Amino acid sequence: MTFRAQSLLWVAQRASAAVLALCVTVHLATMVYAIRGGLSAAEILSRTRGSVAWFAFYALFVLAVTVHAPIGLRPVLGEWLGWRGRSRDAFLLVVAMILAGLGMRAVFGMFL
Amino acid sequence: MPRQASQTVLDVVTYIQRALDATLAYRFACRVGMCGSCAMTVNGVARWTCRTHIDKAVKNENQIEIAPLRNLPVVRDLVTDMREFFDKWARAKGQFRGTRSRNDDFPALKPDTPARVQIDAGIECIGCAVCYSACDVVSWNPDYLGPAALNRAWTLVKDERDSRRTERLRAVAGDAGCHSCHTHMSCTERCPKGISPTAGIAGLKREIASALLGGKL
Repeated sequence: MTFRAQSLLWVAQRASAAVLALCVTVHLATMVYAIRGGLSAAEILSRTRGSVAWFAFYALFVLAVTVHAPIGLRPVLGEWLGWRGRSRDAFLLVVAMILAGLGMRAVFGMFL
Repeated sequence: MPRQASQTVLDVVTYIQRALDATLAYRFACRVGMCGSCAMTVNGVARWTCRTHIDKAVKNENQIEIAPLRNLPVVRDLVTDMREFFDKWARAKGQFRGTRSRNDDFPALKPDTPARVQIDAGIECIGCAVCYSACDVVSWNPDYLGPAALNRAWTLVKDERDSRRTERLRAVAGDAGCHSCHTHMSCTERCPKGISPTAGIAGLKREIASALLGGKL
């Protein structure tokens, strides 16, 4: 990986962290609000199903996690396990795809 | 070990070599905190032994542990091999290369510009390797350039007279460079000169990000 790509990863990590700060705050606030209001799962789903706004919000959340988590895992694997090179990046790409897949599955479950 | 007033750790090491074990190898020069060559690990902490009073360093039961600097190969006893440390300064393009020749006039530099203030905050490094020894990232990633080399690069990146800004930013970007810093701030905590390499490294990250996004890297 070139130094440009490595530097871009850092920028992506910072940008996704900024998005996550917003998403996590909104997500937690919404959860607390929904639970305190005594909404059931069915009532919550009736509000989220077909809502493009909630779909867009959680899709953005999943995208930010997909970018952020593997980049953060990269130095952990390098520094703790000594795992560097292409195999590590290939593994992290798989991790990103799994995160994106599981995350979007949940988002569609909420939306459809 | 006879205790004396204002005794330093370096005094103790010197006493050991002169009175107890003449084979002990250690390194020092100025003895007054100017050269940085007497840096060792005292009770697990990297410090200048000439500026460390034994009264403050001694733990329980009048015991003290003195070891060579961490993260550097040991030549013998308390002497470390500093080559890799200084090679990394070179790898980080730590050499100043100006744009003017000897025939040109001296450049007029205002001391209070933001860039010059930032340079002044980091320029007093004397290369003692205390920060390098204190840095966990160096332990985990042997290719990491380390706080001192990156701090040096930072002072040159901000220097308007230097001609190798882009080349230097390339040299200090990525996994071996500033992007591996975890901002633990051990270097800043330990620097005997009160320099914050962490601040310089953060500055390098910002400069690289803006150069990258501006298509200048």
